[in-house]
Amino acid sequence: MKISRQWLSRYVALDCDDATLCRKLTAAGIEVENVESDSTVPAGVVVAKILERKPHPDSDHLSVCQVSTGNETLQIVCGAPNCDAGKLVPLATIGTVFETAEGSFKIKKSKLRGVESFGMMCSAAELGVGDDDSGSLVFDDGKTVGTPVADLFRGDTRIEVEVTPNRPDWLSIYGIARDVGCLLDAEAHLPEVELPESGVRRDDLVTVEASDLCPRYIGRLIRNVKIGPSPEWLARRLESVGLRPINNVVDVTNFVMMELGQPLHAFDLSKLSGGRIIVRRARNGEKIVTLDGREFSLGNDNLVIADAEKPMALAGIMGGEFSGVSGTTTDILLESAVFQPSNIRFSARRLGISTDASYRYERGVDFDMAEFASKRAAQLILETAGGELGCAPAEKTTGRPAEAVIECRFDRIRSLIGTDVSNDEMTAIFRKLQLKVDAVTEKSCRVTAPLFRLDLTREADLAEEVARIGGLDRVPEIPVSGTVCHPISEDAYRKVKILRDAVVGAGYTECVNYSVIGAATALTDSRFAESDLVKLANPLSPEVAVMRPSLFGTMLGTVERNVAHGNRELALFEIGRVFCADRTKFPEERIELMMLLSGHPHGERFSQEAKVEYDFFDLKGEIEALFARFGVRDCRFVALDGDSRFEKGFAAAIEIGGKVVGAAGKLAAKHVSWRNAAPVYCAQIEAAVCFAAVDRLRREFRTLPQYPASSRDVALLAPANLTHAEIVDFIRNSHVANLESVRLFDVFSDEKLAGENLRSMAYTLTFRRTDRTLTDAEINQAVEKLRARLEKELKLQLR
Amino acid sequence: MNNLIESINQAVGEALQRVEAAENAADLEQIRIDYLGRNGLFPELSRQMSSVAPEERKETGRAFNTGRGSIQQALDDAGKKLGSDRTKAPKGIDVTLPGRCPRVGHRHPISQMAEECVAVFGRLGFTPMNGPELEDIYHNFDALNTPADHPSRDAQDTFYLPDGRILRSQTSPVQIRVMETHQPPVRIVAPGRVFRRDTPDATHGMNFHQIEGLYVDRNVSLADLKSVLQYFARELFGKDVKIRLRPHFFPFTEPSVEYDFSCVVCGGKGCPVCKNSGWIEIAGAGMVDPAVFRKVGYDPEKWSGYAFGLGIERLAMLRNHIPDLRLLYDNDVRFLEQF
Repeated sequence: MKISRQWLSRYVALDCDDATLCRKLTAAGIEVENVESDSTVPAGVVVAKILERKPHPDSDHLSVCQVSTGNETLQIVCGAPNCDAGKLVPLATIGTVFETAEGSFKIKKSKLRGVESFGMMCSAAELGVGDDDSGSLVFDDGKTVGTPVADLFRGDTRIEVEVTPNRPDWLSIYGIARDVGCLLDAEAHLPEVELPESGVRRDDLVTVEASDLCPRYIGRLIRNVKIGPSPEWLARRLESVGLRPINNVVDVTNFVMMELGQPLHAFDLSKLSGGRIIVRRARNGEKIVTLDGREFSLGNDNLVIADAEKPMALAGIMGGEFSGVSGTTTDILLESAVFQPSNIRFSARRLGISTDASYRYERGVDFDMAEFASKRAAQLILETAGGELGCAPAEKTTGRPAEAVIECRFDRIRSLIGTDVSNDEMTAIFRKLQLKVDAVTEKSCRVTAPLFRLDLTREADLAEEVARIGGLDRVPEIPVSGTVCHPISEDAYRKVKILRDAVVGAGYTECVNYSVIGAATALTDSRFAESDLVKLANPLSPEVAVMRPSLFGTMLGTVERNVAHGNRELALFEIGRVFCADRTKFPEERIELMMLLSGHPHGERFSQEAKVEYDFFDLKGEIEALFARFGVRDCRFVALDGDSRFEKGFAAAIEIGGKVVGAAGKLAAKHVSWRNAAPVYCAQIEAAVCFAAVDRLRREFRTLPQYPASSRDVALLAPANLTHAEIVDFIRNSHVANLESVRLFDVFSDEKLAGENLRSMAYTLTFRRTDRTLTDAEINQAVEKLRARLEKELKLQLR
Repeated sequence: MNNLIESINQAVGEALQRVEAAENAADLEQIRIDYLGRNGLFPELSRQMSSVAPEERKETGRAFNTGRGSIQQALDDAGKKLGSDRTKAPKGIDVTLPGRCPRVGHRHPISQMAEECVAVFGRLGFTPMNGPELEDIYHNFDALNTPADHPSRDAQDTFYLPDGRILRSQTSPVQIRVMETHQPPVRIVAPGRVFRRDTPDATHGMNFHQIEGLYVDRNVSLADLKSVLQYFARELFGKDVKIRLRPHFFPFTEPSVEYDFSCVVCGGKGCPVCKNSGWIEIAGAGMVDPAVFRKVGYDPEKWSGYAFGLGIERLAMLRNHIPDLRLLYDNDVRFLEQF
C-alpha cells in the first residue's frame, strides 16, 4: 500500500519529519518498506548572500564572489551571469553530494583558472526544482541566510507500507490517518461533504437477491455528466499512490477508494438493460467478459451485478466489458456496496483475478463507510464531471451488523504484555483509536469496537492495541525465567546429533540436499519403484515433484557438481529424512545416513602414497568403526548381487543380527561422471539402527586382563571362494578352548595357487584365561584340535 | 663358595655374553625368558636354595640377587642402546616433507546453526522436539487458528499430497502436537525442515529450516518473550546486539510481533545489509492466541504462553556472511570446508 504524505496530511496534521513519521508507523505495526521523497535538493545546499562580486582576473565569463552562509564568508568562483552582490542564492557547500543520472558527485574545494573556490552556486535545474539553467537561482529577500534549501523545496514523500491481513482499515489513506492521529496525538478528520440530496425516490433501482453475500448496496444515479480528463489535483493524487488517471468519473471512484477504503464502481446507465441493478448469484454456466477482455464461465457461487438480462460486473472484483464509463457516457449508476469477504476471496481465487477492489473486499470493508463514500464520490463527480443527482440514494441492506463488545480486565492485559500500563493509559489508547469505552471500574472496562475494526473481538486483541500504541519498546527486559518443565523425553534430536558428530569425527563433511526432487532422480535408487514415491499433488516442476525416497539421487548430483568444480577428494555424508509411500517396505518418514568416499586418502603426500585411492575397505572400516562406537558388534557385510546402484562384485549388504540395515559398495559406472577419474564408494544406512544402539549403549567397566595372552599362527590353503568370514565363523564355532580372538594377518595368492583356485590365508589365534596363565601345552593342544577340524571338516591344507 | 654360587656366577657370565651379542629386542627378550622368566634358570636356581647349608645361605642369596640384578641391568642398558641406535639413522629425514593429514569432517552450516540455537535455548531449559514433515492440515493450519480461506493454505504456496495432507509449511504444528500430548507447563524448541512452494533464489528455497519455540505456564508475558529473544540474540551475535519488537499479525499469536536484531554487520549505524535502517528483521513471535489454547484443550484463563520462530538459514547467512541461500544447498566442498 502506497501512501502520499501530502495526501495523508489532508486528514491529520503531520507535525513531524518523514523519518519520525516512518519510525512511528513501523513501531505501530504499519511497517514501512520503502520511502521515496520528491525532494531533489541535497543536504548541504543553503541559502547564502552574495556580499561582493569581482571579475575573474583570468576569465571573461567567471566572477569571483564573496558569499556569506551566515556562519562564514566563502570565496566562490562562479560562471552565472546573475551572481550580483546583494542577491540571495543557493550555495552548495563543500561536501555536498549531488546524485545525477551519471552518478554522484561531491563538491570539493577547487581552483578555477588559478582562483580558489569553496563551493558552488546552483541553478534551478541543478537543484532539480525547475528547468532554468541560465543562471543561479535567486531567492526573494524574505529568506534567512543559512536555511537548508531542501526545506524550501519540500516535495511529496511516498511511503510504501506493508498492511497485515488483519487490518483492512489500513488500506486507505484516511484509515492510516486514523492511526497516525493516535500516534501523533492529533485528531484525524474525514473530508467535509456537502451534498443536497435529490428528492426523487427510485426504490426499484437496486434489487439484492443474494442478500447473504451482499449485506449492503447503495446505488446512485448521476445524470448528464461530461466525461473528460480529471483535473490536475485529482490526477496527481492518483499518480502519487501509483494509480493511472483514466477519466474524471473513474478517477473519482479510484480516489475515494484510496481515500476511504471503499471500492466503488460506476456503470454507464445506458448499458444497463432495464436501467437497474440486480445483485444475484450467477447461473451455472453464465458467462461474462470483464473489462480487461477476458471471458469467464461462472457458477452459482459467484456473485454478479446484473441488469435485467445479464451479468454486468463480477461483484467486488471487476466490471464487465462495456458496462463501465466511456467517453460517450452521460448517465451513471454509482455503486457503493459491502460484500461478504469469503465469497469475494473465493471468486477472485477461482477466477484468478485480483484487483484493488477485490483485495479490499476479501479483507473486509467498513459497513458504515459505504454510505459516506457514496456521498463523497457523488459530490466529487458533480464537481469534476458536472451533471446532477438523478435520485436519492437507493439502498438495500440486511441491517447494520452488531459491534463487538469486549470485556477488558486491566490486570489481565498488564500480565499478558508485561508492561506497567495504567488503567487510564489503556482507556486513553482505546479512545484515541476511536473505540467506545464505558463501564470503567477499577478493574475493567467495556470496549466496543467500531465496524472498521473487525479484528477486535477478544481481550487479547485489546492487549495487542495497548502493546502497539503504548509502545513495544516499553516492554521491559526482565531476567529470563521459567519453570523447568517435566522433561519431555523426545531425544530424536539428540540421537541425530550424536550420529552426526560421530560421522563428522570420522572425517566426513556434511551435505544438506533438498528433499523435494524429481521422480527420475528419486528412482536412481533402484530399491524404489514409482509406486513407492510420495508424490506431490501440486509439484512446482517435474524436478520438484516427489519426496526423496533416499539420499542417493541428490547425493549423486552433489558428487557430480563437485567433480565439475574440480573437487575430487570427497568424503561426504548426509543425514536426512526420506519418504516411502509403501509402508510395507519402510515407514512413511524415516531417517537415513549416506556416506560417500572418493579420491585419495593421502593426496597431500607424495610418490606412491599420494596415488593410493580409497577402496571398498576404507569405507567398510569406517562404517565398522562407527558401529563399534555405538556398541553394535554383530555387524556383517554380505556380498550383494543385483543392486544396480553398485558395480557387480563390489557391493555388500550391511546386516545387523541378520537384518539388512543398509548397503555399501562401489558406485555403478552409470552413476559416475566420466569426469570423475577415481571410483566412488558409498553406503546407505538406516539411521534407526544407530539410534537403537545409542539407546542400548550403556558402557560398563570390564576388568582388565590380569594374565598374559599367548598367540599361535595358523596358515592354510583355502579354496579362493571360501570367504574370510566363513573361515572365521568356522573357527569361532569350533569352540576352541580359551580362544580370545582371531586375526587375519596375511592373504596371499600367486599364479600357481590361483591356477589351483586356492589362496593362502594366515591367522593369528590369541588365547587367554582370566584366572591364570595358560600353559604352552594346553594352547598347543587346542590349536592341534582346531587344525585337525580345519583339515577334516573344511578340507583345508594346513601349512 | 658353594656349587650354587658357582652356577649363579657362570649363568651371569653366560647371560652377559649373550646380551653383548644380542642384535635386537627379540634376542634380549629370549635372554630374559631363559634366565629371568618364570621357567628360566634363576627361578630354577632359587628352588635349589633349600639345599644350601644354612650358614651359606646369606652369601648365596646375595650372589643370587646381585647376579639377577646385573642381568636385568644389562638387559635394560642393551635395550636403551638398541633404541638410541634406531634414532641415530645415518641419514635422518627431511622433516619438511608433507605430513600425513587425517581427514577433517565439517558439519553443514545449517546444522551448526541449528545445533547452536538448540544449545542456547537448551541453556534456558527448552527441550528439543520433532514432528512429521508430512503433516495434516489440522496441525499445520486449523489448530493454529488459520482461517479456512487464508492465502497461506493455497496450493500456490503450500505443497499438497494427493491425500490432502501437506508438507508442513512451518514448524508451528509441533507446538500443537506437544500441547495435545502434554499438560502445561511446557517449554520446548522444535528445529526442523519446512516447505514452501517457492522457486529457489538467493533468499528462498522449496525447503528451509526453522526453529520454533514455545513456553506455556502461568503468567507468561510479552516481557518474558522479549527477554528470551534478547538472551538469544546476545548469545549468538555478541553482547552488544539489541532487539526490537514491532507489532505484526499472525493468526496463532495475539499480540503478535516481528522482532529485529540491531544490525550484526554495522552495529546499527546503517549499512547495505540492514538497508541503512540499523535493524535486521529476524522472525515472528507473540503470545499464544487463546483460540489455539482452546484447540488443544488448555484453559486460556489459566495459562498464557509465548511462541517464536527463527529461520536457520537466515541466521547462518547473517552470521557467516553467506550472500546466497543456494550456496547452502549446493554442497560444494570448497564452501562446506569453510565452516
